[in-house]
Amino acid sequence: MRPCGVFDKSYGLDIAIIRTWQHWVILISALILLYTFPLFGSYYLVSFMNSLAITVIVVLGLQIVSGYCGQISFGQAAFMAIGAYTSAILTIKFGFSFWIALPLSGIMAGIVGIIGGAPSLRIKGMYLAMATIAIHFVVIWLILHMEITGSFKGLYPLPPSLGGFEFDTDERIFYIIMTVMVIMTYAARNLVRSKVGRAFVAIRDNDLAGEVMGVNLYYYKLLAFFVSCFYAGIAGSLWGHLITVVNTEQFTLMHALEYVGMLIIGGMGSIPGVFFGVLFIRILNELVMFSSPVLAKALPWLGSSPAAALGLIAFGLAVIVFLIFEPRGLAHRWEIFKASYRLYPFAH
Amino acid sequence: MIEFFQHAITGLMIGSLYALVAAGIVLVYKATHVVSLAHGQLVAFGALFFWLFLGGLGLPFWLSLVPAFVLTALLGLLIERLALRPLIGQPLFAAFLMTFAIFIALEGVFVLYLKGETRTLPAFLPEGNLDISGISIPINQLISFCVAVLLFAAVSLLFKYTKLGLGMRATAEDHRLAQSTGIIVKNIFSYIWILSAMVAAVAGIATANVMDIYYMLPYIGISGLIVAICGGLDSLLGALVVGLLLGFVENVGAAYLDPLVGGGVKDVAAYVVLLAVLLIRPYGLFGLVKIERI
Repeated sequence: MRPCGVFDKSYGLDIAIIRTWQHWVILISALILLYTFPLFGSYYLVSFMNSLAITVIVVLGLQIVSGYCGQISFGQAAFMAIGAYTSAILTIKFGFSFWIALPLSGIMAGIVGIIGGAPSLRIKGMYLAMATIAIHFVVIWLILHMEITGSFKGLYPLPPSLGGFEFDTDERIFYIIMTVMVIMTYAARNLVRSKVGRAFVAIRDNDLAGEVMGVNLYYYKLLAFFVSCFYAGIAGSLWGHLITVVNTEQFTLMHALEYVGMLIIGGMGSIPGVFFGVLFIRILNELVMFSSPVLAKALPWLGSSPAAALGLIAFGLAVIVFLIFEPRGLAHRWEIFKASYRLYPFAH
Repeated sequence: MIEFFQHAITGLMIGSLYALVAAGIVLVYKATHVVSLAHGQLVAFGALFFWLFLGGLGLPFWLSLVPAFVLTALLGLLIERLALRPLIGQPLFAAFLMTFAIFIALEGVFVLYLKGETRTLPAFLPEGNLDISGISIPINQLISFCVAVLLFAAVSLLFKYTKLGLGMRATAEDHRLAQSTGIIVKNIFSYIWILSAMVAAVAGIATANVMDIYYMLPYIGISGLIVAICGGLDSLLGALVVGLLLGFVENVGAAYLDPLVGGGVKDVAAYVVLLAVLLIRPYGLFGLVKIERI
């Protein structure tokens, strides 16, 4: 976002993420607004923001592996489950503190992600998507059939604490989740414009050509899976300690499909697109939630609680409409807006 | 030994259902190179439409078969017209994602209609068991098994020997070349979706014959997709063989491995088989190997 007539006069300015003093003002005031949000936001809004931020972290990971590296993964929910379970097991059964368990669960999910991403070395596109669906079911099956994960009952992790301060309400854990989200967004934004990010894009656009140019396919594909699953693991750990109950019902294939849908609507290959996609779907969901009791009253044949089914229909239709009319997602609209802002008041 | 054969036969019967579901996916792929995730929904809706007329309205078997086929074919046509036709010329992966969106939207409709209940088809095939030296085979499953094999033969012949089948094979090869030889590609797309939806209706009716119609029914499409991929997406023979094989592995594996690992082998066997096949032969057991160039 640059107004007309602002030019980069040095290399440092050219590569900066934050280019003008207006950006700094917007960024800092947005951060202040974010961190004071629980003081004036309602309980409903704060818990909404919590789940929103966790979803953003998951979809950021998916954006890296699918949007940038081009390896579509329907296994993101399973990797989130691995993170959630690892963190729960470490804190409950081995007495680790949350602050150590959080990165460890990310790393654990990442390692499993490398194993799960191994098929990408031989297959791609739709075949890989099917392989990740298979991985999803295998992981969930393993979780259900292991002793340590509590099987069907699930686990009950405790809220994190720091020096006697318990982050036991939604308003308190809000700060942890937001901090992690900001750090993760910053890391993702920087990763995709580094050498690694360019290698990912090369693999996405044409993996054979990328390999000819000297991109090590094996290394970078597995790295993409590692990073993506690391994000999912972190998000899973946060989710477990936010909800304080972990079971496989929270990580179904439908969740994984939802993340991919968010990616399509937000726009593949764009970090802001993640925020657009997650916001769009979550607001759509909330709208359906609020409107379904009214609809159920007006149209009795819908049954008493049509919210879940109507949510699925709305979500599916939204993805269909976006695929037909705006396959590049909301991020593309945002780019168009930015370009026209930069040119204003001139036509081109 | 008798026990083993009993498990094997039961597995093969279930496997014929998987093969039927996979057949629809293979058909669409053979003619358009689109992989359809939405096929499970067509199967489920085929079963549901059949139930509407047989169980809901109480029509006789043959009379309810016709509207069920027509409605499922219409649904298939609708999917093709509204969602997939605008994507002709776009990357094939967009079409794959589109079928995934259709799956979710139709899943919503399906759940909305069922409202968490189950529907059970009244028995419409002869009951009873066929007994061959100690191995008992339910007659209604045997009938659906035979229907599956016959359907496979019919569809393979259609692809191989009719003009329509030739047009479909040509379309799959290259849309523009096919168009320039006078094949109307758009019509081929419609025909294949109608055909695939009808096969899905058969699969749905055969499936609803052995299990209830409930909210998980569309997920049989994922099993079908696994079978189609393992067999090679462009091979009808592969779908049949691997479908039967998968039913066999699931049932025999469940019978002999469940006591060892504590149950649930049936739920995961298909996915393990899929991963193994994808790692060893990425194009499936019977699929054409494609060489990629830059």
